[in-house]
Amino acid sequence: MSPHAVHEPPPLVELRGIGKRYPGVVANRDVNLAVHPGQIHAVVGENGAGKSTLMRILYGEEQPDEGELLLDGETVRLRSPADAIAAGIGMVHQHFMLAENLTVLENVILGAENTRWGLLDRRSGRRAVREVSERYGLDVDPDATVEHLGVGQRQRVEILKVLYRGARVLIFDEPTAVLVPGEVRALFGSLAGLRAQGLAVVFISHKLDEVLAVSDHITVIRAGASVGSFATADADPRRLSRLIVGGELPAPAARRRGGGGEVVLRLRGLRAEAVADATLEVAQGEILGIAGVQGNGQTELIEAIMGIRAVSGGSLHIAGREATHLGTRGRRRLGLACIPEDRHRQALALPATLWENAMLGSEDLRRRSRWRVDRKAARDATGRLVAGFGIRSPSVDVPAAALSGGNQQKLVVGRELGGRPKVLLAAHPTRGVDVGAQAVIWERLRDARDDGLAVLLVGADLDELLGLSDRVQVMLRGRLSPAVPVGELTVERLGRMMTGAEPEPVDSAAENR
Amino acid sequence: MRPARTPGWGVASTLAAPALALLIALTVSTAVLAAVGASPSRTYLTMLEFGVRPDSLVSAVNRSAIYFFAGLAVAVSFRMNLFNIGVEGQYRFAALLAAAAGTSFDLPGPLHLAVVCLVAVLAGALWAGIAAVLKTWRGVSEVLSTLLLNYVATAVIAFLLAEVFAAGSATGSTPELPPSARLPELDGLLALLGVSLPAGAHLGGAVLGAVVLGVAVHLLLTRTLYGYDLRMSGLNPAAAHAHGIDPRRMIIITMLVSGGLAGLAGLPDLLGNTYRYGVDFPSGAGFTGIAVALLGRNSPLGIALSALLFGFLERSALILDIEGIPKEIVTIMQGVIVISVVVAHELARRMDRRRTARLVREGAPATPTAPATPAGPAA
Amino acid sequence: MPRLFAARLLTTCLTLSVVAACGATGGGTTAGPASGESRAGAGKITVGVAYSRGGRGDKSFNDSVGAGVDQAKAKLGVSAKELSPNAAGSDLEEVLRLLAETGHNPVLAVGFFYAQPLAKVAPAFPHTQFVIIDDATVKLPNVTNVTFREEQASYLVGAAAALKSSTGRIGFVGGVQTPPQEKFIAGYTAGARKIKPGIHISSVFLSQPPDFSGFSSPDKAQEAARGMYDDGADIVYHAAGASGLGVFQAAKAAGKWAIGVDVDQRKTVGQGLADVILTSATKQLDVAVLRIIQDAAAGKPVYGLQEFGLKEGGVGYTTTGGELGDAEPRIEELRKQIIAGEITVPVSPS
Repeated sequence: MSPHAVHEPPPLVELRGIGKRYPGVVANRDVNLAVHPGQIHAVVGENGAGKSTLMRILYGEEQPDEGELLLDGETVRLRSPADAIAAGIGMVHQHFMLAENLTVLENVILGAENTRWGLLDRRSGRRAVREVSERYGLDVDPDATVEHLGVGQRQRVEILKVLYRGARVLIFDEPTAVLVPGEVRALFGSLAGLRAQGLAVVFISHKLDEVLAVSDHITVIRAGASVGSFATADADPRRLSRLIVGGELPAPAARRRGGGGEVVLRLRGLRAEAVADATLEVAQGEILGIAGVQGNGQTELIEAIMGIRAVSGGSLHIAGREATHLGTRGRRRLGLACIPEDRHRQALALPATLWENAMLGSEDLRRRSRWRVDRKAARDATGRLVAGFGIRSPSVDVPAAALSGGNQQKLVVGRELGGRPKVLLAAHPTRGVDVGAQAVIWERLRDARDDGLAVLLVGADLDELLGLSDRVQVMLRGRLSPAVPVGELTVERLGRMMTGAEPEPVDSAAENR
Repeated sequence: MRPARTPGWGVASTLAAPALALLIALTVSTAVLAAVGASPSRTYLTMLEFGVRPDSLVSAVNRSAIYFFAGLAVAVSFRMNLFNIGVEGQYRFAALLAAAAGTSFDLPGPLHLAVVCLVAVLAGALWAGIAAVLKTWRGVSEVLSTLLLNYVATAVIAFLLAEVFAAGSATGSTPELPPSARLPELDGLLALLGVSLPAGAHLGGAVLGAVVLGVAVHLLLTRTLYGYDLRMSGLNPAAAHAHGIDPRRMIIITMLVSGGLAGLAGLPDLLGNTYRYGVDFPSGAGFTGIAVALLGRNSPLGIALSALLFGFLERSALILDIEGIPKEIVTIMQGVIVISVVVAHELARRMDRRRTARLVREGAPATPTAPATPAGPAA
Repeated sequence: MPRLFAARLLTTCLTLSVVAACGATGGGTTAGPASGESRAGAGKITVGVAYSRGGRGDKSFNDSVGAGVDQAKAKLGVSAKELSPNAAGSDLEEVLRLLAETGHNPVLAVGFFYAQPLAKVAPAFPHTQFVIIDDATVKLPNVTNVTFREEQASYLVGAAAALKSSTGRIGFVGGVQTPPQEKFIAGYTAGARKIKPGIHISSVFLSQPPDFSGFSSPDKAQEAARGMYDDGADIVYHAAGASGLGVFQAAKAAGKWAIGVDVDQRKTVGQGLADVILTSATKQLDVAVLRIIQDAAAGKPVYGLQEFGLKEGGVGYTTTGGELGDAEPRIEELRKQIIAGEITVPVSPS
């Protein structure tokens, strides 16, 4: 597994035979990775495969138990991130570490300030920041305040921070997880700029399409070990996915035409903050997809249906009953369930145990717990959920924070489906989860749909939307288009509708009403 | 907030924080004592000697009942991320109304006492309820409103005393409560256990009430649906709201419960000591309650222990003047203990988080994606 | 560490029992000298003093008592132990009990707040003399009640204010609105009205119980007094302890008069402010305290109500600086009338 071409220059950074053990578990074993200058090197693998540990080692946050790290062909030891930064290795974190109320310039030079006579030298700092951003095509106004920047721009600030400190190797930890499609394209442009300047980029991801689109070279990590390394040009998507999961990659295909049942979720001209006259119907046994570029009112729509955002007009019916003026609990009693888009914010209390989280919103367990919480019933139910969804956890008494993202999401999905709801709101149900969990979640959603569940699916992943939905409505600037049967849609057409480039279909939704 | 119920390190870390805190507090206090020229060892020994005398212990326990109620009141609100710092005003207002109510009618023994207690609970809840309504109706921060309501309470109490309940009284206080409205002393109960108290020391009946109430609040917080809702709302208000736990309802209920508990804080003094409410009614327990709740980590047992510690420290402070040592050192000690607990708990929490991550790696072959645990209530 | 701690605890417990025993015998022996001859007793008595909230250093009430205690120590050779309660005022009873059981006799309870605790503690120590200052409600065989006729002194300074005022408006700044404080405003008002029935008197109390900051808030007092001066008052009398300083500063700024309280403040306050003090309504706490201790040391303790008024030299007014001038004879006349019982000064505002 040595670099495949002999006459290439030596790798900028190389990991050889890295092993890392925690008590009782091996996080990495015999990992090899060679990153060359002018290369975008993707490291792919499921959540929990050991990518994060490997990157922590590369960034000096952890010390390997075995193996060595070479920079420009020489063995080095990185004892801390400060060592790594000094050696020219920088990390662009998934969760941005920026001071909101400072300017871009201040954020970039924070901790690495130029001083003159003990005073902050803003002028030379600004010049340096301008220079770096121009050289790499990172367009950010150095004097803008960070709190006014969008997610994509904030990420550019993070990149600037790393470059300003003289990084030659940039590690990107799941950089697209927080971006919308347009921003992803811009990011890929920036990465290309970095490559053109001869820097090395390590790109961590579990999204195969992105990896194939942007990288030059791919290394696959599975169960702690590197199981394959090849040029992207030689990569075959199916072989790649088999390497990652050690089996077949599930796809959201194999759909069954749903619909035709009784309408159980009906919105008539619903208005709320950022939502204008939303009208939609979801029948038993069908999945209605809501597509749209993020920030067009989808979040607000879901929250208005859930009952946690004030409705200013229109009506809402759940299972044939007027629910416009009911609170969240009243709506859930009618059979509403929800997988919120941000599980850490709206779905789980991370410090609470699994069973406490599983009990959240469970009308059944609440009924049993009139005066005294029925812990046994809650634990048993959670145990069944953990087993049924293959959630990896030593017990139902550990805090939810201890689970990996995918397992947390399985817990949420299992909990919401466990109450046998009539209507499920699913906002980005597989965001930020690994391929394995994604497959489980897709399968369960389809099964529930086949059993008669009505699902309102909000998604940014167009493949997921097209693969799961029976009909799709597009949300643009707070308005919903009429529904389009999924058979009439392609990714391209959907993309045009989402950006408003294509006029709305002339009520092809009528047939569905 | 609470670590997983995993045997071994869970227990160890629960004990580690307070132990570390006491160590820090002891170090700082020793330094302060040395700085003012008092002998630390003599000070501690003097306090200990005096503090463990039977009558001192009884006094400390009696005092701790007051702090226990006040601390419990603060803790219930802390659990919901509400900061009821108006316990001071709530308990004094409640004590005044209870004193006034108790002298305005006559009932047979236990019933009279029960009605007086009920009035105190309702009055405390009423006063806290003002802040709750302001918060849910107009979004006024309860930190501000409860704090300011303390001052309003002072003025209202002065007015009510001067113009209504103590009008024309030479002592400036309400009439004395009849014996039927007073708390019984538990000396007889101690005698049954073979403990006899020195003359002048009496174990107040409030202590028994505190124990019963402590158990009740513990059950309320850990075993009832309300306690569950409170915990979830405190840990993640948005998630609780999204799953049908109405935050406004929880705020109102929690402030009422907190205020009701606060109302009890005046009763050990009123029904077991002064028997009347006047300008000289002991004050300050509401603020001490905040420190007690912080030290007790919001759990009834922890609050009981920290209330006892505060009671003990305050009682043993008495002797220091006699020995010519500045007794303000005890106030400093209390403050340092509270700060140390906050610091120590933060350290313990970080240790916990690392251990949890390791535990899951061991228990299941999955690397957790470094959970961004939201900091619990600053408590 | 735990073993060390346990060992220390054990020693503590042992020491403790010894201390307790000592305390008990101490309490027994001090009961004796009350009947012994004066000279032998004088060396032996140790006075216990329980101050009111704030303790010594308040330059007012507690310090005046402290002055009496200091004089007793110097002149009579007695020893004294001085304690203060906690800020919450929740350990008054314990302070008294502690002083009594550690053999202090007499035990001075400084302030009417001690009335209720004293009523509980005194019966438990029948051989100890308890002296309560500013309270007449505790009537027990071993209790001495020391009260002052502040209203009489206030009456005289009220008369002085009325005589010296040219605007016909005077003011009063009280510390904390408690019953004893009302004697001041009652006497002041009556004295002023005696001279000028139509005089305008504005009054304010700086805080309401249980907020006792009114005795230690010069800033609030200054604000209150400034308001009165701005409103046309030309003399303001304060009974606000340490807050009085603010009244003097306001008087200085306005170029008007102020009247001091408790001690001759023209002597105690700094040079810069002394000029504004017309007179002071004095309360000779030290005189009273010294006399009580003297009697006790002589083996002839007096019990029951001891009133200190103009007649007994317990209260008065000062003429330092001679600012009263031609008003003095009239005030002196009133003083004699009060002593003779021809004038009865009210103790509560009408």
